[in-house]
Amino acid sequence: VADAIGISLTALQALQQAIAVTSNNVANFNTPGYDVETINLTSAAPQSNGSVTVGAGVDVAGVTRAFSQAETNQLNTSQSALGSLNAQQNYSTQIDNLFGTTANGLTTALQTYYSGWSNVADDPTSTAARQALLGAAQSLAASFQTSSTQLNAMNSDVNTRITGDVTQINADAQSIAQLNQQIVVGSAGGQTPNTLLDQRDQLVSSLSQLVGVTTTTNQDGSMNVSIGNGQPLVLGSSTTTLTTVPDQFNASELQISSSALNGNSISSSITSGDLGGLLQARSQIINPALNQLGQVAAALSQSANTQQNSGLDLNGQFGANLFSAGGPQATASSKNTDATTASVSIANLGALTPDNYVLSFNAGAFTMTDTSTGDNVALSGAGTAASPLTGAGLSIVLSGTPAAGDQFLIQPTAQAASTIKVALTNPSQLAAAGAIATSASDTNTGKATVAAGTVADPANPNLLATTTIQFTSPTTFSVNGAGSFAYTSGANITLNGWQTQISGTPATGDVFTVQGNTAGTGDNTNATAGANQQSQGVLDGGSVSISGAVSGLVTAVGTQAQQVNTAQTAQTAVNSAAQTAVQSTSGVNLDNEAANLLQWQQAYQASAQALTIASSLFTTLIDSVNGTFS
Amino acid sequence: MRVTQSLEQSQFLTAINQLESNISTTQNQISSGLSFTTASQNPIGAGLVTNYNQALTQSQQFVTNSNSAQTSLNTEDTALTQMQNSLQSLRDLALEANNSSESPQDLSAIATQATQIQNTLLSLANTQDGSGNFIFAGFSTQSQPFALSATGAAYSGDQGQRQVQIAPGQTVVVGDNGDLVFNQIKTGNGTFVASAAAGNTGTGVVSTATVADPAAYTGGTYSIDFTAPNTYQVLDANNNVVTSGTFTSGQAISFAGVQVTLTGQPAADDSFSVAPSTNQSVFTTVQNLVTALQQQGTTSAAGGAQLNNSINSAINNIDQALNQSETIQSSVGARLNGITTQQSVASSQQIQLQKSISNLQSLDLPSAITSLDQQNTTLSAAMQAFTLTQGLSLFKFIQ
Repeated sequence: VADAIGISLTALQALQQAIAVTSNNVANFNTPGYDVETINLTSAAPQSNGSVTVGAGVDVAGVTRAFSQAETNQLNTSQSALGSLNAQQNYSTQIDNLFGTTANGLTTALQTYYSGWSNVADDPTSTAARQALLGAAQSLAASFQTSSTQLNAMNSDVNTRITGDVTQINADAQSIAQLNQQIVVGSAGGQTPNTLLDQRDQLVSSLSQLVGVTTTTNQDGSMNVSIGNGQPLVLGSSTTTLTTVPDQFNASELQISSSALNGNSISSSITSGDLGGLLQARSQIINPALNQLGQVAAALSQSANTQQNSGLDLNGQFGANLFSAGGPQATASSKNTDATTASVSIANLGALTPDNYVLSFNAGAFTMTDTSTGDNVALSGAGTAASPLTGAGLSIVLSGTPAAGDQFLIQPTAQAASTIKVALTNPSQLAAAGAIATSASDTNTGKATVAAGTVADPANPNLLATTTIQFTSPTTFSVNGAGSFAYTSGANITLNGWQTQISGTPATGDVFTVQGNTAGTGDNTNATAGANQQSQGVLDGGSVSISGAVSGLVTAVGTQAQQVNTAQTAQTAVNSAAQTAVQSTSGVNLDNEAANLLQWQQAYQASAQALTIASSLFTTLIDSVNGTFS
Repeated sequence: MRVTQSLEQSQFLTAINQLESNISTTQNQISSGLSFTTASQNPIGAGLVTNYNQALTQSQQFVTNSNSAQTSLNTEDTALTQMQNSLQSLRDLALEANNSSESPQDLSAIATQATQIQNTLLSLANTQDGSGNFIFAGFSTQSQPFALSATGAAYSGDQGQRQVQIAPGQTVVVGDNGDLVFNQIKTGNGTFVASAAAGNTGTGVVSTATVADPAAYTGGTYSIDFTAPNTYQVLDANNNVVTSGTFTSGQAISFAGVQVTLTGQPAADDSFSVAPSTNQSVFTTVQNLVTALQQQGTTSAAGGAQLNNSINSAINNIDQALNQSETIQSSVGARLNGITTQQSVASSQQIQLQKSISNLQSLDLPSAITSLDQQNTTLSAAMQAFTLTQGLSLFKFIQ
């Protein structure tokens, strides 16, 4: 009878614990990272009673948590990928909204600007039309600046978020290291410290949203965490602190380093998690958009200025530059061992790309690598003022011979959009007139005409000099009274930077004059050329116009945003599946717990009943014994 | 599979968010009337719409340009018509003056009228457009191009011709310079001038002068010298005799591809020259006519012949000026036609572009509304299903 009481007591104790475990499960229903726990009951070691062996009740062998390392790893990996895409989506959506709307400010401003040139061409002496053009040019420059300001603001935002992520990662790493210590102590007795393990797994899970991690569990229960290409973050109870360092070329961009790396960047190996997403957003989304925008700004500025320079303004002066925009930038690496500097200018607009380049000097030779494609660019020249290095549409002059291993980052278009502004203030300075005027003498008796003429080289110092072409016979002519040149009707006559054609049948003594168009305020040749630049191919070897480049930019940012959106949607589905798998294994199902409670309750009631019966048996026995002896 | 309540809830939240974001996108589409509002929704379409919009603006600008060109050309057209009317009146006056019955007073009156016509021509040559630009000044539109001088008028403009772009790669010349319209007018018949020498004493008058054989025409200078009243010889520039003959009034003298008819009776030693045409300003032509009419003092027969010769040459020159003006006017007309054609091309092009933009960007409203309805139905169904499943819990049944 005493056995029965003892057995029932073990059952009551075990069932109370079981009910406690179930209650704990219900209590932690909403606790993030909580893994559902089950009580492990075993029958107690039996007691041999002569020839019969009777069980000794029930023992609690332990409490285990439902956990699958494989599913957890999968969820962490998927969270890292999703974290990266979420970070990228944040920026790609902003840029999409900035340029991707069909009525974006840049397109409209560009159209108004070119219409402005056309309106000046319609009435070259109208100050109102000129003032409107100047205003349109200012709006256009402002539109470039606004867009690039927003892109630069995104880059500062990236820096802020990188710093925040690094702080959070370091804090999580510290917590994991501390938990490792406690887990090692807690596991020493052979038990599993479930709560600590849950907490650690939860920390790894939030860490994986910030940066992709790889974990390994040691024999003593502690966990090692590494990031990127296996750079250790947590080793047992010690941590490596992540730091941010300025980029070797661009101090305004933060890169990731660690306390073990002497300031060397490991950014390139961090490709996932929020941190990886931020780095990618900067290098793949924000900076390319800034460069592409800059390419358009540089093309606009240079072609508008060239056109201005080849025409004459209302005062008969050569047109001054309409726009000023920052040219290509060359930055020496902070690791260079000497002070050699590089200066870069645009040599060929048609070959200018929106990519950045790294110029390296090794073994006495220069190599230039496109940072977007990784390809080497063909270079010619020596890098001196007399023989500049040329390649990718750029002309590079170095201040001296660099030390071996020196590197320079070349950003051909990065700052053009943020620095473009209108350089003219006076509408009369807009060069609407062509530089030269041609005329036939009134005394000509032949039937030849002279074409209006075009400027081939605006820099020619003699461009505006008066040139007299006199026919010494119907088939020959002299220039300024000298020489004898064969006449072909319609053939080009080129001199002093201009070009014209005489056609028809001239007579001996006929005179044609080419001279500076300094009084030709009613001429619109140059304004028409300015308006025509809208559809004139200047980029990509002359195949892409400035308008074309802007619509290309719209398509490019739209495609990028679309790709990121698609990838993000797909990754969300993958992540949801991984979450389902983990939840399915480790989550708390209230109905299960209710059923368990009922089960434990019934068993408890039965065990209590057994105890009552054993107790009454005992009383019966005592009573009968009392009767015998009374 | 084991499903937990928190999983159900988080999946429901994700689904609800997605559904609500879809509804918001559809709502945006319906309220804007556009099938996409950012490039990421249709990157290629957005690029195309940007291109089409630029082409549309450019085309509209070309129409603005062609309207401006039309205005300029219409102004020029009107000026040319008035110029022709003036020249026609002048020609009528000259014909009237050529009538030998006119008295010196009549001639003087005609001279006064001719001077008035000269002033009319001058004001036409200095025509300004609505913006105050001189339309016959070439590129020098800000300064008055013509000013009367003793020998006609001085031109201070240039030979620039403003071109306005009315279509991609197509420009139209919107003005003709005054040099071309008023100054570069060939004298005589446009090829050569036959004129009487100033000191002729006979009554010989150049009646007609034509190029009879263009192939034989050399462009040289010749003189028809009368060795006797009825004998002439034609000398070239080197005084070589080209031909000679007996003169009969009204009978053509032909040599070197030209044919000159003289009437009246030249005297011995009278001379007539044949020289290539040169350019002469219409103002000089009028001035010469006025000068000739005012020198009517000589009543001699020779003096009459001189006046006739001067008037004939003026008539020839006026005809050349009329001819030049009409040629330029017909070219202006052709340019105006070109502009009209281009305007209709541009307007159909704009309709096409707008259609393309609309095809790409316009929302199919019925299908958008249908899909909004479907999305709403899905959302409310999802909400209902969630409430139903959330109501199920074993704990409810434990008493």
